[in-house]
Amino acid sequence: MRRELAGWGAFLVVAAALPWLGIASDRYLMFLANVMLMFMTLALSWDVVARTGQLSLAHGAFFGLGAYAVGIGYRSAHVPPLAGLVLAAVVAGVVAVALGIVTLRLRGIYFAIATLAFAEVLRTVALQLPDLTGGNVGISMPPLFDGDRVRSYYLAGGVFVLAVALSVWVRRSRIQYAVTAIRANETVAGVVGVSVVRTKVALFAASAVLAALAGAFYMPFITHTDPADAFDISRSVAALVFPIFGGLYTTVGPVVGTILLRSLEEYLRVTPPWKDGYQVVYGLVIVVAVLFMPRGLVGLVSDRMRRAAWRSSR
Amino acid sequence: MEALPQTLLFGILRSGLYALTALGLAISLGVIGVVNFAHGEFVMLGAYIGFWAYLLLSGPLGLGPAVSPLVIAVGIPVSAIALYFIAAGIFRVALKPVLRQPELNQMLLTFGLSIVVVNAMSIAFTAQAQDANLAWRFDLLELGFVNVTYSRVAGFAVSATLVAGTYVLLQRTRLGKQMRAVAQNRLGAQVVGIPVDRIYEMAFGLSAALAAAAGVMLLFQTQVSPFVGLGTLLKSFSIVVLAGLGNLTGVIWASLLLGIAEQVISQYVPNGAALRDGLFFVLIFVVLLARPAGLRR
Amino acid sequence: MALLEVSGLVRRFHGLAAVDGLSFAVEPGQTVAIIGPNGAGKSTAFNLISGLLRPNAGTIRLAGRDITRAPSHVRTRAGLGRTFQIVQPFGDLDVLGNVMVGALFGGTATHGIPAARTAAERLCELVGLGDRTSAPVSALTIADRKRLELARALATGARLLLLDELMEGLTPTEEREAVALLGRIRADGVTLLLIEHVMSTVRELSDHVIVMDYGKKLAEGDYASVSREPAVIAAYLGTEEAAS
Repeated sequence: MRRELAGWGAFLVVAAALPWLGIASDRYLMFLANVMLMFMTLALSWDVVARTGQLSLAHGAFFGLGAYAVGIGYRSAHVPPLAGLVLAAVVAGVVAVALGIVTLRLRGIYFAIATLAFAEVLRTVALQLPDLTGGNVGISMPPLFDGDRVRSYYLAGGVFVLAVALSVWVRRSRIQYAVTAIRANETVAGVVGVSVVRTKVALFAASAVLAALAGAFYMPFITHTDPADAFDISRSVAALVFPIFGGLYTTVGPVVGTILLRSLEEYLRVTPPWKDGYQVVYGLVIVVAVLFMPRGLVGLVSDRMRRAAWRSSR
Repeated sequence: MEALPQTLLFGILRSGLYALTALGLAISLGVIGVVNFAHGEFVMLGAYIGFWAYLLLSGPLGLGPAVSPLVIAVGIPVSAIALYFIAAGIFRVALKPVLRQPELNQMLLTFGLSIVVVNAMSIAFTAQAQDANLAWRFDLLELGFVNVTYSRVAGFAVSATLVAGTYVLLQRTRLGKQMRAVAQNRLGAQVVGIPVDRIYEMAFGLSAALAAAAGVMLLFQTQVSPFVGLGTLLKSFSIVVLAGLGNLTGVIWASLLLGIAEQVISQYVPNGAALRDGLFFVLIFVVLLARPAGLRR
Repeated sequence: MALLEVSGLVRRFHGLAAVDGLSFAVEPGQTVAIIGPNGAGKSTAFNLISGLLRPNAGTIRLAGRDITRAPSHVRTRAGLGRTFQIVQPFGDLDVLGNVMVGALFGGTATHGIPAARTAAERLCELVGLGDRTSAPVSALTIADRKRLELARALATGARLLLLDELMEGLTPTEEREAVALLGRIRADGVTLLLIEHVMSTVRELSDHVIVMDYGKKLAEGDYASVSREPAVIAAYLGTEEAAS
């Protein structure tokens, strides 16, 4: 545990120093750094829910919900971005608890479908209530920290730290046993004393809050969003591809997966023939990962290490 | 209220295609037990094949007004057969290995496949929506007090035929009985010698073929783009959830209910046309709330 | 006050009553066996008592407290433990981890990981898995998996232990070890309610036997009297045998 915390401490120090290592003046690289932190948060949040064995296709929607909470807050009451983050967290938490109570009692199949439907409901609502949400034109607000990407980087970093903290806590506290039992066999977990629904709902809510915080950061950072952008399914896809590729049920996995895949995406987006179809790579990653690499990159590495250790102990 | 008969009729006609699409999903869910997130993409691919048939027939072959029925007559068999084999291939390569893995993995796999197919199509054939200029889309059939376009009638007729045909297949043929046996009790089916893996493959192929046929008919109603799959998928899901897992007859009733409700809402509720899309999705939640018995573990 | 009181329990599946008006009581410290032919509704009764199924009618009380509609984890924390006929270990956890789940989330006060680990180690020792606490579940034999289920159920601090055909699949030696283990558990004050088909175990361990058939209680009493009742013999062997 201590070693892991030390590792994360070192990582955070390096990450915090990043702007001062020369990239602060490069607007594009700073933009990318901000976006990376945002997606790492999203990926970590998805991984937390995945640990209970549930497939959520709604994380992009919670991201969008967070963005709209901040946007609507600004548009109707001039709520400043930082307070907007709190607002987004509260809204997402309440919605997630309500959604979770209804859907987490059901089989995984129905939960996944319900999350997909939920995302579409949000998108439709955003489109159909123009007085509140600006309709398909969307919402605009002034840039975060007046466009200072270094300060926004640290804000994104703060949210990221929260995500890391949640991920580590779920893995290290006694919750890890509840979660692993639930994932292995929900019914029996209940018989052994785990309050299954409460645990699933609580983790789902915490995870949704983090996804919404990422979205709440996104809104002022990008200054404009609309339903098509905020609730784009590509974000739900990213939320799950990054952790799957990097390694499920770990904290390192989602972070590594985000850095590698999101960088690849930057390249693909401007390279024909991929361009707007770059997500085909994500789809392939998912398929290949499920078929050949169910534990992701981190799994590959740790498997190899375990095999090496076993071989040397013989 | 004078519009009521027209509204009801539209609802019934619309429900045909819904039933056709949902039936395929219900079969793959009921027989194989897998949630196929790529089902909407089967519809989309069928629509593209129909579109290419349309281009071929109306372009190089220069057939004018006769195009519409020919698109159906040619497009449906071609797309159904093509998608059957595509789906069977997908099953063998990607789906069969994960059938023993947890449900989460299976769902992820089909979800990943849907992302691949949508974006591959978008790369290969552009993301632009394509329009098939089919006469039947706009030509009206006048039936006394109601007017319907030929396309709505054709859509319903095709769907009804295929759905009825599928029921005959499932109830009267040996293959159908084998599929139902596997759906009810996989182990028991194996014990009596039914080749379960082959039945799975055929069921998956059948579900894709039905979806493809629905896709061809989609040409008569709307533009075709790589992205039509998601909406179709969600509507099919809500029908299957409403009908109840494994209940194939229920699919017809659920489709009728939703088709009619959709039309009634868009006609009579203010801002209805806009809310109509949200209806299906809200309905999923209502059903999940109201019928937990069959859905709880 | 009875530790477990089942009253008028009914459970139907598609119109067919698997449990049809079942009533019985288990006193603290007793070892009660439920026997009966296949399909008598014994496992359904267990599922109703442990909360995997809800009854259509009737009540279940644990130490006077109504648990008829309570979720499983509430019953467990109230002192009800259970093993399964087909063992259900948590595959992603090792032996110790499995038992720790019970220690951490059952009705005991061990909420910290170190305390739970100590309690789990002690229980693994008790059931005979002390030397294999870090083994993966996949490496265990059937008998060992049953030990694991037992340890895991005990870790929840169960006062009443529901054992579903524990002896099934065990060799005669393993059966003897199991009986001895149950004796030790009993001596610790745990009340046992078993479903069993192995009559020697029933005869040896139980103070009280309940015979079920067609979802109803057919007879109850000590082993000797119950095994002589014509209705019971008829249920197992058919009426001609009973007549002779």
